Amino acid sequence: MKKVFCIFAALSIAGCSSLGVEPWERDVLAKEEMQLIADPLDVAIDEHIYFSKEASSGGRGFGGGGCGCN
Amino acid sequence: MGLAAADAAVTNNNDCGMTGKKPNTTAAALASATCALLGGISAEPVQAQEEKDWSFDTALLYYGESDSRVQDISLNVLAIRSFIDDRILSLSLGVDTLTGATPIGAAPFNGPQTFTSPSGAQVSTRSANEIPLDDTFLDTRVALAATWQQPLGRLNTVSAGVSISDEYDYLHLGANFKISWDFNKRNTTVSLGLAFANDEFDPVGGAPTPLTPMLDVGDVSNRNGDQSKNIVDLVLGVSQVINRNLLVQLNYSFSNADGYLNDPYKILSVVDSITGDPVARVPTPGIQGPSHEYLFESRPGERTKHSLFGQAKVYMNGRILDASYRYMTDDWDIDSHTIDLRYRWPLGDTRFIEPHVRFYTQTEADFYRTSIIGGTAFPTNASADYRLGNFDAITIGFKYGWKTEAGNQWNTRLEFYSADGSVPGNLLVGNQAGQEMYPDLDAIIFQLGYRFGK
Repeated sequence: MKKVFCIFAALSIAGCSSLGVEPWERDVLAKEEMQLIADPLDVAIDEHIYFSKEASSGGRGFGGGGCGCN
Repeated sequence: MGLAAADAAVTNNNDCGMTGKKPNTTAAALASATCALLGGISAEPVQAQEEKDWSFDTALLYYGESDSRVQDISLNVLAIRSFIDDRILSLSLGVDTLTGATPIGAAPFNGPQTFTSPSGAQVSTRSANEIPLDDTFLDTRVALAATWQQPLGRLNTVSAGVSISDEYDYLHLGANFKISWDFNKRNTTVSLGLAFANDEFDPVGGAPTPLTPMLDVGDVSNRNGDQSKNIVDLVLGVSQVINRNLLVQLNYSFSNADGYLNDPYKILSVVDSITGDPVARVPTPGIQGPSHEYLFESRPGERTKHSLFGQAKVYMNGRILDASYRYMTDDWDIDSHTIDLRYRWPLGDTRFIEPHVRFYTQTEADFYRTSIIGGTAFPTNASADYRLGNFDAITIGFKYGWKTEAGNQWNTRLEFYSADGSVPGNLLVGNQAGQEMYPDLDAIIFQLGYRFGK
């Protein structure tokens, strides 16, 4: 059982490490517009609007808030 | 390494390596020790290490709801100072000026209704068959935040930040920390963030005791002093580069709020169990007051939320799809789903257009109700706040940006937000079934932005 687990763990690590790119293949990923938060100001403004109007907030980062609007 | 950094390296040689970096070899160590003995230490090279100047992201926002409801004009500035070695200081400022009217929670019916204002100093009357709004809403909010980020060792990054925001009746203080680990050739990043906040509420006229009646003008016997709440947020995230054109992220968030979670300006109508019409009330002779019985809302003193958030960024021949989904659930029985899609489409080398669509849906809180039935025991908690109700919302719009010759960017965004709610049939009493009970919302979002110094 231990052996099976070890083989499985080794395979998953190998699987994970096969994902991704080499450092010299990061031309596209390095673009500003490819960042997870490409427009931080837009994200902050949107989170403030939706925090004020909906019962959910956060997810992308912290829960937002800091206003008496909800 | 930028030009400034290269300059710093040159300066290093001239200045005996005393620029704050550790010498790599024994020879360098000896050389720098010699220089130190000779008094060759200078503060100047430290400045020379600074790679770039400030960069700024600014936006002027207009948010306007239809039917003279909330209008917000907001100025936002994000200033980023990048230093050599990936150290970053971010400062943000937001100033909002809010005016307009907002639903107070009272149920509409086929007669006029009079309410005491939140300050307790005057009354206002609303027409029949109209969702009652409070139009004394007026506020200015100033928000400031600062974050410092720097590498920790070769593969870790840490950041720490503080935030403060101030309104006429509200003060927020917050602190946050984040650590992230890169591995698998920096293709995988795991991060852990923690945030703490303490918010103080000092409502106009004092915070009303929950589930006590709205009183006549000048009667503040059920009003209390400042109220506060504490919020703890935790975010655990993994991001993974899949291939040259695809990046994905998965976050789990936990949030706990403890303390005063009511909206002190929201009320509920006390209604007749058969007709569903509000129970009439007679103010003290000679004093103005509410025409019907209304109770201030009551929410639980604690709320715990869990969210799962997934995002993918896909590069397709110059176009970028940004797709995300969030599921949230909490112990108030609210579940929500959010889908957000943006498609950035370059138009030549200097311009782009980015259509955006967002879908949102939520279920109502377990204590949400349109009114309270008179003559029966009150529930422990009750709120008619439309934001705790059952609704769907859609945002649709686009952003358009263009670069100047100097490399700065102008951008503009125009979006429409529409929220459409429905009250579950079992919450409607008598004539309420024939009324428009949920205050649907339509809003316009217009933004003009300018980025410079990048």
